[in-house]
Amino acid sequence: MYLVADINVDICAQTSCKLCTQFCPEANTILYNDQAGRDKGYKYGAAYVAVDRCKGCAQCVWVCDNMAKHNAIKMIMIDQLPNAAITDNIVYGEKSTTAVLAGPAVG
Amino acid sequence: MSLDYVKFSPGFDKFMPKEYKDMVEHGPFGKKTTVSQMGSFKEILEEHPMCAGCAMTLFIRLAMISFPNPEDTITVGTAGCGRLAISQAAIPFVYGNYGDQNGVASGLSRGLRLRFGDKPKDVVVMAGDGGMADIGFSCTLHSWFRKEKFTTIMLDNEVYGNTGGQESGMTNKGAVLKMAPLGKKFEKMDMLAMAKSAGCAYVATVVPNNPRRVEAVIKKAVLIAREIGPTYIQAYTSCNIEYAIPTDKVMEDAKNVEGDRYQFTEYVTDEAKQFLAERYGYKEFLPKPAPAVTKA
Ligand SMILES: Cc1ncc(C[n+]2csc(CCOP(=O)(O)OP(=O)(O)O)c2C)c(N)n1
Ligand code: SF4
Ligand code: SF4
Ligand code: SF4
Repeated sequence: MYLVADINVDICAQTSCKLCTQFCPEANTILYNDQAGRDKGYKYGAAYVAVDRCKGCAQCVWVCDNMAKHNAIKMIMIDQLPNAAITDNIVYGEKSTTAVLAGPAVG
Repeated sequence: MSLDYVKFSPGFDKFMPKEYKDMVEHGPFGKKTTVSQMGSFKEILEEHPMCAGCAMTLFIRLAMISFPNPEDTITVGTAGCGRLAISQAAIPFVYGNYGDQNGVASGLSRGLRLRFGDKPKDVVVMAGDGGMADIGFSCTLHSWFRKEKFTTIMLDNEVYGNTGGQESGMTNKGAVLKMAPLGKKFEKMDMLAMAKSAGCAYVATVVPNNPRRVEAVIKKAVLIAREIGPTYIQAYTSCNIEYAIPTDKVMEDAKNVEGDRYQFTEYVTDEAKQFLAERYGYKEFLPKPAPAVTKA
C-alpha cells in the first residue's frame, strides 16, 4: 500500500484558497469542485485529489499547513480511503470540475 | 501548428482517450488560461516518470501553463530529467543530442520565421544545468551572441540529476555529491552575467515557490523573444533525490534558497521594455510621465 493526499472538505470549503494545486508538482492532480462545499452548506467549493495521479510527496500538506495555515490535507493509505476521485470519473466544466466518487480505490 | 492540430479528426473522437478529449474540450488552447485557474482546466502536461515531489516537475508544470500561446509553441530539450516530463505534453517537443538544444532551437526558430513570417511561433528551450552550462555551453553562448530569437530556460538543480549526482558548473562550491565526494572546488558559474554580456534582452532568476512570478517571467521572456532578441531564465529547481531533501520539505528548501542565493532578479533592456509596453500593454514599462515643473 502507499500514501496519497486526502483533503478534508469541511475545512477546505471554509476558504477554498486554491493554494495547494499551484504547488502540487503533478498536473491535474489537485482539482476544484465549486459545488463540493456548497452542497454541505459552506460558502465555497473545495479541492480534491485525483488519487491515480498523486505520487504521495506530501508537498500539498506542507503548503496547506504552512502557507495557507488551514491543515486540511492528510496523507492516507490508499486502501483506507472510503471513496476516491480518479481521472476516469472526473468531468470538466466551464470553470470547475466534478468527480463521481468511486468506492475504495484499491479493494 | 495552429488550433487545428488539437481538434479531433472526423470520426476519430470516439476512439480518443479521455485525457485527450478533456484536453481538446477543456484545455488551454486558444484561451488565456492562467496559474490562478489551476485545478479547473485540463493542463497540456500529462503523467510522466519524474520523481515524486521534484521541484523541476512543478516548474515545468507552471511553465506549460504560462506559455502565452501554447498552440503556437514548440519546446526543445535534451538528455536530463526535465525531458521526461516536457515530452509528455500536448505541444511539440524536439529532442536532440545532449547539449545541442540551443543549436537545434536556432535552426528551428529561423525556419519557423521563414515559413510563417510575422505570425509568432514560440520556441522555448528547457534543459538542465549540465546540459546547458557544461556540455551545451558553446551552443548556448553562441546562440546568444548570434541574437537568436527564442527563450532559453535553465532547469538548475545544481547537479547532474539524471545520471546519479555528478557536479556541474552550476553546483555550488563545497557541495558534496554522490559522484563528487570530495566537494566541488570551484565557484558556481555566473550564467546570468554571461547572458547579459552576450546580448540577451531579458534575463531573470526564479524559484517555483512563487507560481505567479514564474508565470509573469515566462510570459515576458517568450514575448520579448518574438521580436527583440534572446531571453534567458534561470530557475532553481532542486533535486530532492541528489540533495536528500524530504519531499514534503521541497518548498521550504525553495523558500530558504530564494531568501539566500536565488533571490528574484530581472534584467530587461530598454528596447525590450518599450516593446512590452507598446505591443503588449505592460503598464510597468510604460514611460513615466515627466515630473510636473514647479515654479521656484
Ligand atoms: C553525449 C551524452 N553524454 C552523456 C549522456 C548521459 N547523460 C544523460 S542525462 C545526463 C546528465 C543530465 O544532467 P543535467 O543536464 O544537469 O540535467 P538534470 O538531469 O540534472 O536535470 C547525462 C550526463 C548523454 N545522454 N549524452
Ligand atoms: S491549501 Fe488547503 S485550504 Fe487551500 S484549497 Fe488546498 S486544501 Fe483547501
Ligand atoms: S501528495 Fe504530492 S502529488 Fe499528491 S496531491 Fe499532494 S502535492 Fe500532489
Ligand atoms: S533525480 Fe532529481 S531532478 Fe531528477 S526527477 Fe528525481 S528529484 Fe527531480
